Amino acid sequence: VSSTRARSNDPPLLILTSLASGEKHGYALLQDIEQFAGVVLGPGTLYGAIARLEERRLIEPVDESGRRRPYRLTAAGARELSDTLAELRMITDEGGRRLAARTSFAGGGA
Amino acid sequence: VSSRPSRRQRRRVTPGPSTLLALYPPAWRRRYGDELDALILDIQADGRDTGWRVRADLVRSAARERLRGGGDPSRRVRGGSSLVLWAWALFALGGAIVAKTSEHWQRTLPADSAASAAFSGLVVISVAVAAVITGGITVTLPAIWRLLRAGGWPRIRARVLCATALTVTVVAATAGLVAWAGRLSPAGRNGHDHLYVAAFLCWAALSATCLLAWTAVGARTATEIRCGRAVLRTHTCIAGMVAIAMAAMTAATLAWWTIVGNRAPGALTGGSALAHPSALVPQLMFAAALMVLATAIAAVGAIRAERAFTELSRFVTRG
Repeated sequence: VSSTRARSNDPPLLILTSLASGEKHGYALLQDIEQFAGVVLGPGTLYGAIARLEERRLIEPVDESGRRRPYRLTAAGARELSDTLAELRMITDEGGRRLAARTSFAGGGA
Repeated sequence: VSSRPSRRQRRRVTPGPSTLLALYPPAWRRRYGDELDALILDIQADGRDTGWRVRADLVRSAARERLRGGGDPSRRVRGGSSLVLWAWALFALGGAIVAKTSEHWQRTLPADSAASAAFSGLVVISVAVAAVITGGITVTLPAIWRLLRAGGWPRIRARVLCATALTVTVVAATAGLVAWAGRLSPAGRNGHDHLYVAAFLCWAALSATCLLAWTAVGARTATEIRCGRAVLRTHTCIAGMVAIAMAAMTAATLAWWTIVGNRAPGALTGGSALAHPSALVPQLMFAAALMVLATAIAAVGAIRAERAFTELSRFVTRG
């Protein structure tokens, strides 16, 4: 997740959001992301994003062994998610304000 | 949100997409391969589509990981720079073959300014690149010193000793070859004395092995040292510059080859008794292929280093 690429369909952001509700393994992550965001991530995309997030220590594996290894959010990951959501919220708030102003201007002019 | 397919729609579990895991880099596969394989099996077992979209996703992701390399970003910057170093060694071998095959070509085609310009450009860029690489090694010396003081010598000892032994052998062989050549006639030096030709080819192979051995020392040392951001930035810049220079030198070589090949093909082999009537001299074709391959490898290394350094900068900035 990067401040310059904070998009609601950004795989790292979706993974961090999913893990905010608890630890999950790969398939549980796919299902959860599909459910709350309507985004179907490919398995390669998912594990590419998991690898980046783990490198940046934003997530960590819960169990070091096993083929279906669950991941959880680290403290740094929670902070990253919080910062990114704040940025997105700022953009949506600003967008909402501008739309409202546009609507009232159009209404006043009619 | 897509709805889950019924049991009738579920497909039989087949190993198809999992075979694409072989496309990933070995290190990545060791870390995530089993998990990704398990995920693919889960997707298949749940009756979801694992058709061309999943396969394309795996191929694209594997290509991205290949381009990116593995491990932490600073290690990947050094890995990318090492790749460029290997590419430069291959390129130097190609360049040496071109230089030896076509030595004295100006005697056969003295008044051709376009060919001279291309050849001069080639020489100037190669000297500049050698200087830049020497600069890159120089800024790395403090990190190498720290590695040695921290007891890192055993980790690079075998390669350094091997390269040193090869260097001593090459120096001795060069002295012997020069003394031998001094007793031969020009014709004997240029292919008429078959024993000398065989000795020269052995010397060339030994020199190439020596160059590759020192490159292996550089690459091994690069994996062991710890560098600061300033040094990594310098390595990234140098990797990019060397890759661009190699592309320019490849273009200059091809331009020179085309010009000389059109006007006086015999000059491509220096106008010697072994002069080939065609521009398609086998040695030059091999050398050009080596240079193109090396340039492609250098481009991959430079892109890897650049991407890793960008990622490292973001990581450090965002803490």
